[in-house]
Amino acid sequence: MFSTITSGTICGIRSCMVQVEVDISQGLPCFQIVGLPGSEVREARERVKVALRNAGIALPPVCVNVNLSPADIHKSGTMFDLPVAVGIMAALSRLPQGAAESTLLIGELGLSGEIKPVKGVLPIVREAARLGVKRCILPAENAWEGALVEGTDSVGVSSLQETIEVLNGADRRDTVLMRIAEREAAEESRSREDFADMSGQESLKRAAKVAAAGFHNLLIVGAPGSGKTMLARRIPTILPPLSAEETLEVASVYSISGLLKPRFSAADHRLAIDRPFLHPHHTVTGQALVGGGRVPTPGIVSLAHRGVLFLDELPEFKRETLDILRQPLEDRKVQIARSSGTYDYPADFMLVGAMNPCPCGYYPDMGRCRCTPGEVRRYLRRVSGPILDRMDICVEAQPVAFQDIVRQGTGETSAQMREQVMRARKRQSERFSDTELRFNADMKAADVDRYCPLDGREKRFMEKLFTSMQLSARGYHRAVKVARTIADLEGSERIREEHLAEAVCYRNTEVFQ
Amino acid sequence: MTEKDAYKAYMHWLFQASGMGSRGFVRTLLGIGTPEEIYGLAASGALADRLAGRYRKKALALEASASAFDVADAYGKLRERGISFVSLGEEEYPGKLATIPDAPCALYYVGRLPDPDRKTLALIGARSCSPYGRAMAGQFASALAEAGVQIVSGMARGVDGIGQQAALDAGGYSMGVLGSGVDVCYPPENRQLYEHLIAQGGICSEYPPGIEPRALLFPPRNRIISGLCDGVLVVEAKERSGTLITVDMALEQGREVYAVPGRVTDALSRGCNRLIRQGAALVESPEELLRELGLGAGGRTGRTDRGEAAADGVRGRLMNLLDYRPQTTEELRRGYADAYGDDLQIPELCLELLGLCADGAAEQIGGLYARKG
Repeated sequence: MFSTITSGTICGIRSCMVQVEVDISQGLPCFQIVGLPGSEVREARERVKVALRNAGIALPPVCVNVNLSPADIHKSGTMFDLPVAVGIMAALSRLPQGAAESTLLIGELGLSGEIKPVKGVLPIVREAARLGVKRCILPAENAWEGALVEGTDSVGVSSLQETIEVLNGADRRDTVLMRIAEREAAEESRSREDFADMSGQESLKRAAKVAAAGFHNLLIVGAPGSGKTMLARRIPTILPPLSAEETLEVASVYSISGLLKPRFSAADHRLAIDRPFLHPHHTVTGQALVGGGRVPTPGIVSLAHRGVLFLDELPEFKRETLDILRQPLEDRKVQIARSSGTYDYPADFMLVGAMNPCPCGYYPDMGRCRCTPGEVRRYLRRVSGPILDRMDICVEAQPVAFQDIVRQGTGETSAQMREQVMRARKRQSERFSDTELRFNADMKAADVDRYCPLDGREKRFMEKLFTSMQLSARGYHRAVKVARTIADLEGSERIREEHLAEAVCYRNTEVFQ
Repeated sequence: MTEKDAYKAYMHWLFQASGMGSRGFVRTLLGIGTPEEIYGLAASGALADRLAGRYRKKALALEASASAFDVADAYGKLRERGISFVSLGEEEYPGKLATIPDAPCALYYVGRLPDPDRKTLALIGARSCSPYGRAMAGQFASALAEAGVQIVSGMARGVDGIGQQAALDAGGYSMGVLGSGVDVCYPPENRQLYEHLIAQGGICSEYPPGIEPRALLFPPRNRIISGLCDGVLVVEAKERSGTLITVDMALEQGREVYAVPGRVTDALSRGCNRLIRQGAALVESPEELLRELGLGAGGRTGRTDRGEAAADGVRGRLMNLLDYRPQTTEELRRGYADAYGDDLQIPELCLELLGLCADGAAEQIGGLYARKG
């Protein structure tokens, strides 16, 4: 006898449906799983056998053949335990005819028959809903993830017994439907960090605001204790809240990595996700950064999708590790090729780097710097040029003066800054409405000429700066691009001299090259 | 080949074949006979027998080199490359240098040697100098050069190179004394200055052409820098630095030492301020130095004075706040608020700062700003 159960697996950020075909025939008792299963999938045999027995379903001495179709996609993960078990029961006619029709099943089985959570539920259910699957039976702990998706019913089950009840027609639609939090909810951010804490660092705050408004990558240079990390941590608080679509994207990546749970606030059944903020240590490997493994998993850059990737002590990172970032910075995604196929992960993040200006931290204050020119040059040269090239804005941090520490509560709060950032972004989306560009930072040289025309006066001003500040052609375009963002922040349609001047003040990455 | 050239040719052979760090050996040899006679002895294998002890081995090496060395050809090649050679005792050998103890036996040079009738000053200082050091080196060098003083230095990064460049730019003469062969440009980033020196001044070294720079070659060359000069001017030096080695040499040689003071909080001022405490002449302006040198005040006003009342408005106030020590925009903003009780918005601050940079009154170093010139 034969049965087919719908299940799903993850390939990269995408998921695809897998048909679990179970055939039971007479013969020497055996249990085989074919269809490119990974070792954890192959081990499902033992778990399923024991779980079925402990759930009171005796497996007669028969020959069981399971095929996971399409058979040419590598399957990994423990989500096939439940569909295999249900498939066996269906093939043994222990379930009503058509009970598992248009139903997606995923879940890991414990030996007692309990059902444990699995990774990647959200993207699988999204794909199922897209293909018109009516019902998804999911591990109870993951059920809320499925409930985020509209167009399909998500049912959470905690044991094999319960699954059978549901398939037998018990009305189990008690799983609450989740909603993605609307903006208001997201604004009650759980983050306790706020730019209002940073008094007396107006230049830094300003640079962060400009960077956030145009999605420019930011480099913070300064001695230890000058507030570099403090600044970086607060950047997510001024980025606009994630939209519903973005929330799903971010949640999918975290779902695949099995990290979604701790980031979800169950209060009133709405999912609110803060902008991710990741700060890997400088010993991080390239693989951990962009993802990989024999069966690829998302890396840190993908976990930072739609958020901030903060690299502290930039020159301490291995050059090769940083160079790997070039593709994600360019394509806004990570592509990992394996013999079994190419895996795509999203990686649209804002890169924030921090570094000392020299080993002792005081350069270019030669009165205090103890490094030789060679040491300074070697230190700065450790950061690869192409990465520095993508840092549109560079700002110098300075240790805070005492009077600024005591003068608390002045300055803008994160909420006020976010308001301005969102206005600037709105201007950008209007400007780029019929193009592929989203932010000013996406503009290439040709786009800069097209979208940032300079009037005569500004052109002359730029010409003067070009020679006196020894700007390169690239530096020129970068400055105009950043000036465009500053003008957007100020609500000005025209780029004016002070916008250009401020942008040129942020251009000092060239000094390092 | 004239008699003089022949002498130089044999001397060149003797000098480069006996290796570096063997001034005593060369002197001993010259006690035996003329360079040509020594060559004859070496070529016939009779030189080593005339010497005993530690010089015997060197003499054997000299004998080996003599047989394989075409003296005239080697000297011809040297001249073809524009490199001149002068040895101690010859007429054109710099007179001031000849008087120092331990004067180099010979010098290789490109361009011109300093004019013995004109005042010559060494301008030395820290390699990693501050904008203040840069400004001082430039101001002093160009004013001195305009007054006809010849500037000698080591063509190093920082004060040395900046001073020499400024002297050349002012139309003056400058000589670079290298710690490598004269055909090796070190540091490589000073290539332009190197070419400029050859065209308008000179480059010299006691090391034969082709010698790569090595750390141990630099301290001996410092004695040549001070030896070529009437005095030494120090702009910025740390407490323990190569600059102070030159000063020690200068004092040994009886040269006058002048120092530009710095502020007490800067590590780069320690060396100069200590020199002043020990008796070096404190100079605040090129005019003062020219008077010290007996060249009188050139009628120029002191450029080191800060033009306080020069400009008004935000830009003028900013100019007053700017210092030779680079400051961040945040520092300037705070300083502005403290001094004038007025909060300057960042865009306006940037606009004014860049205006000052464009006018050449300030410079951007990294993301920091300093007064210039």
